[in-house]
Amino acid sequence: MAAHTSKAFLSLGRINGPGLGFHNSLTRVTYATALSTTNSTGNKGFPDRGNRGAFVRKPRREAGEPRTEKMAVNQDWTAVYSAAAPFKPGSVPLPVRMGYPVKGGVPPEKKGNLELIKIPNFLHLTPAAIKKHCEALKPFCTEWPSALDTEATLDEHFPIKLESTDYISAGTSVRNPSARIVHLKVKLSRLNLDDHARKKMLRLVGDRYCKDTDILTIRADSCPLRQQNYEYAMYLLTVLYHESWKTESWEAERTAADMDEYSWEDSPSQKNILDTLAHMKMAGEGEGEAVREELLGRPEVQEYRDSVMRLKNEGESESSMHQYREAVKKVLNL
Amino acid sequence: MAAPGRHVGHYIHKNSRFLLNNVEQLWWHRSFGWSPAVRQQTATIKKESTEAIVIPKKKTWSKEAVLEALSSTVNRDHTAYQYQFQDDPYLSPRTSAEFKLYSLSQESGRAAAKYFVDNNPKFFTKDFAEPHIPCLMPESVSLRLEDVSEEALKERISLRKVKAAVDMYDQLLQAGTAVSMETTHDLLDVISLYCDRDPVQEGGPETEDTEGSGEELGRRRGRVRRASDLLKSVWRENNNAERIFNLLPERDAQCYSALIRGMVKHGAYVKAFNTYTDMLNNRLTADVHIFNALISAAPELREKYNERWDLISELLNQMGEQKIQPNLLTFNSVLKALRRCGSLAKTHALQTLSEMRALGIAPSLASFDHVLGIFYKAATITQSQTDILQEVMSEVAGTSFTCQDPDDVLFFSNAMRVCLDTKDMEQGYKVHSLVGVGENWRLLGDSYQQSIYYGRFFNLLCMMEHIDVVLKWYRQLIPSLYYPNAQGMRDLLQALDTDGRLDLLPTIWKDVRSLGHYNKSDLVDELLALMAREKHSPEVQESFAACALDVKSVFEGDRGRPSLEWSTSSLSHITALLLRANRSQQAWEMLHLFKTKNRIPSDVLLEDFLSMCGSTGAPERAVELVQLSAAFCLPATPRLAQRALAEFDLTEEQRTILSELQSSWDPTE
Repeated sequence: MAAHTSKAFLSLGRINGPGLGFHNSLTRVTYATALSTTNSTGNKGFPDRGNRGAFVRKPRREAGEPRTEKMAVNQDWTAVYSAAAPFKPGSVPLPVRMGYPVKGGVPPEKKGNLELIKIPNFLHLTPAAIKKHCEALKPFCTEWPSALDTEATLDEHFPIKLESTDYISAGTSVRNPSARIVHLKVKLSRLNLDDHARKKMLRLVGDRYCKDTDILTIRADSCPLRQQNYEYAMYLLTVLYHESWKTESWEAERTAADMDEYSWEDSPSQKNILDTLAHMKMAGEGEGEAVREELLGRPEVQEYRDSVMRLKNEGESESSMHQYREAVKKVLNL
Repeated sequence: MAAPGRHVGHYIHKNSRFLLNNVEQLWWHRSFGWSPAVRQQTATIKKESTEAIVIPKKKTWSKEAVLEALSSTVNRDHTAYQYQFQDDPYLSPRTSAEFKLYSLSQESGRAAAKYFVDNNPKFFTKDFAEPHIPCLMPESVSLRLEDVSEEALKERISLRKVKAAVDMYDQLLQAGTAVSMETTHDLLDVISLYCDRDPVQEGGPETEDTEGSGEELGRRRGRVRRASDLLKSVWRENNNAERIFNLLPERDAQCYSALIRGMVKHGAYVKAFNTYTDMLNNRLTADVHIFNALISAAPELREKYNERWDLISELLNQMGEQKIQPNLLTFNSVLKALRRCGSLAKTHALQTLSEMRALGIAPSLASFDHVLGIFYKAATITQSQTDILQEVMSEVAGTSFTCQDPDDVLFFSNAMRVCLDTKDMEQGYKVHSLVGVGENWRLLGDSYQQSIYYGRFFNLLCMMEHIDVVLKWYRQLIPSLYYPNAQGMRDLLQALDTDGRLDLLPTIWKDVRSLGHYNKSDLVDELLALMAREKHSPEVQESFAACALDVKSVFEGDRGRPSLEWSTSSLSHITALLLRANRSQQAWEMLHLFKTKNRIPSDVLLEDFLSMCGSTGAPERAVELVQLSAAFCLPATPRLAQRALAEFDLTEEQRTILSELQSSWDPTE
C-alpha cells in the first residue's frame, strides 16, 4: 500500500513537472508529503518531514506468553526440570511469591524475582524424580548379604569402619581436595589388649578415643590421595596395636605422678590409716610389719581402701563422699 | 550454581558415607591385610556363624554409565523449545525465522570464540578443566614449519592448506628431494577432495566466494541449498592434481583412486572413466572406492535407462573379476543410480537388496531411501500398486541405525512423503515410532530436513485423523519440534472445520500470531471466513469478536508497521463478527473503514446493521447508514430506506432525507 501511494504521487509529480518549469529530471521520486493519507504511519523508510521530525525506530519486541499457560496439569514434571537448573518463572507453573512485602501489600510475584533465582531449588528432585532415579540406579547395586541383618552382626564381622566423602560442584574441575580425607573407626573392645596395652594405647592416641562409645577414630589427611590415606590409617592402627603391647625398658621408671589411676598400696593414705590404727588400738601388740599385715586384712580397712580409691579416681560426689564417711566411721569405730 | 551444588554435595555426602561405608567394609574384608588381632576374632566368628556370609562381587561400569542411566529416566518436555536456547518467554524463538537466526548466531559466536582461541594460543596455555576438555584448547591453525621439507609438506596437508601444499611439493621436486609415496597419496587425496582450492577456514572471516566443501554447507543449519553452491567446484582441465599425477614416476592404485574420486565428486565424469581405463591398461587393480565413485557417475554418462544399467552391471562384473569385495556404499550407489533408470529399476533394486543380504551387509537407511524412491515416483504415485513401504517398515522396525552414508538423513522425510502421498496413516505412525528407537533421532537431519519431515507428518495427521488426535499431536510437536508454515496452519484450520471444532479458532489465531504468520493474507482470510460463516452460541461468538478485534489490530499495522492490505472479504467478515456479538460501536468504526479503504460492503451486512440499529434503538445511526449506502451507490439503498422509515420513529427531517434517498434510487428510472 505504501508503494501504491508513492506511485500515485510520483505520477502527480511527473505531470506537474513541465508545468512548473522544472529542469530537473522528471524521474526523481517525490516524497510523500503532508497530503498523504493515514498510511503515513507505515512509511518507515521515508522520513516524513511533514508530520514528524524523527524517524521511527523498529518497535520493541514483546515477550511471548510464558509456557506455563500451555502446560497440562498432568504433565511429566521430571521432564521439565530434569537436572538442577535455576528457577525460571516462565517454566514453573506455581504462583510463588517471595521477598519482603511491599508496604501494605504482599511479597513480590515470581516474575523477575531475583530472590527466587538466588536460592537453591530442588525442583529437579521431586519424589517422583527420586523414585525414577532409584529405579534406574538399581542395576548398579549388588544385593546386601542376607546374613548381615543386625547392627550387632555387622559390628561383629566388620569391626573397622571407614568413612570418606565425595564432593560434587558445578565448576571447571571435578577434583576436590577434601575428598582425600579418610576416617577409620574401631571399637577398642574388639582389639585384643590387656590392661597395660590398653592404657598405653589410650596414652598414645589421646583425644582420638571417645570414652562413651569406646570408639577410636583415626583421621588421615596428610597424603594427597584417598588410597594413600587409607593405607596410612591401616598402618597406624597396626603400629599402635603392636606398640601398645610392647613394654619398653623406660616404662619401669614410672613414678606415682605418671600413674593414670590412683592405687592405694604404698600411698600416704595407707600409711596414714595404718599409723592411726596402730596408734589407736594395738599399741605394742606386735612388730610393725605383722601388725600392718593384719590390719590390712581387716574388712573395714578394705572398705576404707575402696572408698578412698573411689574418691580419688572418680572424683567427689554425693555417693562417694557418703561411702567414705561410712568407711571412716567403721574403721575408727565411731 | 555453587550454592545448590553445595547442598547437593551435602546430600550426596550423607548418602556416600553410607554407601562408601559398606563398600569400604567389603573392600577391607577382602583385602587380606588383616591385623593379627582381628584375624583371631574373625576366625572364631567364622566358626560360630550359623550362616555363611556371602559377599557379592563388586560391579564395574564405565565412567558415563551412571549419567546415562539417569538420563534414560528423562522424557521429552512438550512445551519447551529446543534445549540450546534460553528458556524464557522473551528469549525463546517463536517463529522459524527467529529459530534460524538464533541458532546461526550461536554458531557464529562459537566460531568467533574458536577463531580467537586458535589465533592467540599464548593466552590459553593454562588448563583449568579437570578432566581435560580437548576441544576448548587452542588448535594449531597456522604453519609452524617454514623450511622446504617433507615434514612441512605433511603439516600443510594436515592443516588443509591446499595451495601451500602444492607449492611446497613443487619446491621439493625442484630441490630434488624425493617425497615418500604415502605423503604423495595424502597430497593427491587432499587436492582431489577440495578440487584444487583452499577450503574455507572454519570460523575464519567469510570471503565472498565461499566455495566450501560439503562439510561447510552442512554445518550451516537451515541454510537454503543453493544449486549454484554445489556446482561451483568444477574440475578444471590439467589442474594440479593431474599435473602432479603425470609427474609421478610410478603410479599405484591409490593415486588413481584419489584422482578418479576427485573427478567424480567435482563433475568430470568422462575423465574419470578415461582415467579408469588408463588404470586397467596399466594392469592395476582398482579398489572398492573407485568402483563406488564410478557407479555413482554411471547415470551421467549414458542417456538411456538400459544403457545405464548395462554400464553399472559391467562395472560390477569387473569388480568381481578383480576380486574386490563390495561394501555398503557400493550397493547404495547402485541403488542411487537405479533411481535414475526408470521402470527397469524395480526388479534390479530388489535383486540388489537380496545380494546385499547374501553377502551379509546390512542395508542402511540410505538403501531403503533409494528403494522407496525407485518404487514411489512422485508422478505415478496414485497408480502404483506396491506395498513396498509396508515391507520396508517391517524390516526396519525396532532397529537402531547409525549414520553410514550421507544419504541416510533423507530417509525419514522421503518415507513420510510416501505416506502422505499414499495417505497411509498407519505407516506414518510406524515411521514416527522408528524415529524414537535408539539413536535414530540423529538421522533426522538438520533443522531444514526436520522441518520437512514434521511438516509432512502433521499434514498427514490433519488429513486423516480426528481433530482430538490432531490437537494432541499439535500440542506435542509445536513449537518444541517444528514451526509450521502457513500451509500447515491452513491444514489445521481445515481439520478443525471438518470436525466442527470452530470454537478453537481464537486459540489457533493466537498461535498463528506467535508463529509470525499473521501477515499471510490468505491464511488470515480463511480464518476470518471460517469464523464468520455461521452463527454460534453466545460465548463462542464473544470469543470470535475478541479475536476479530485482534485481527483488526494486525491489519492496522500493529506495532507501527503495516502488515496486510484490507480486502472486502476481511472487512466484511470482521464487521459481521462484531455485529453478531453486539459490539455496535466497533462495528460502526468498521463501516467507516470501508469508506476510507474504498471497499464496498455487501447488502447482507447492511441489512444486519440495520437490524442491530433497530435493536439498540439508534435512529440517527439508521439514517447515517442509509446515507452511507447511498454514497456507495448500492442497489439496496431504497430497500434500506424503506425499512428505516418503517421500523424507526424518526424526526421529520430524517424522514425527508430517507424518502429522498428512496425515491432517487427508484429502479424504474
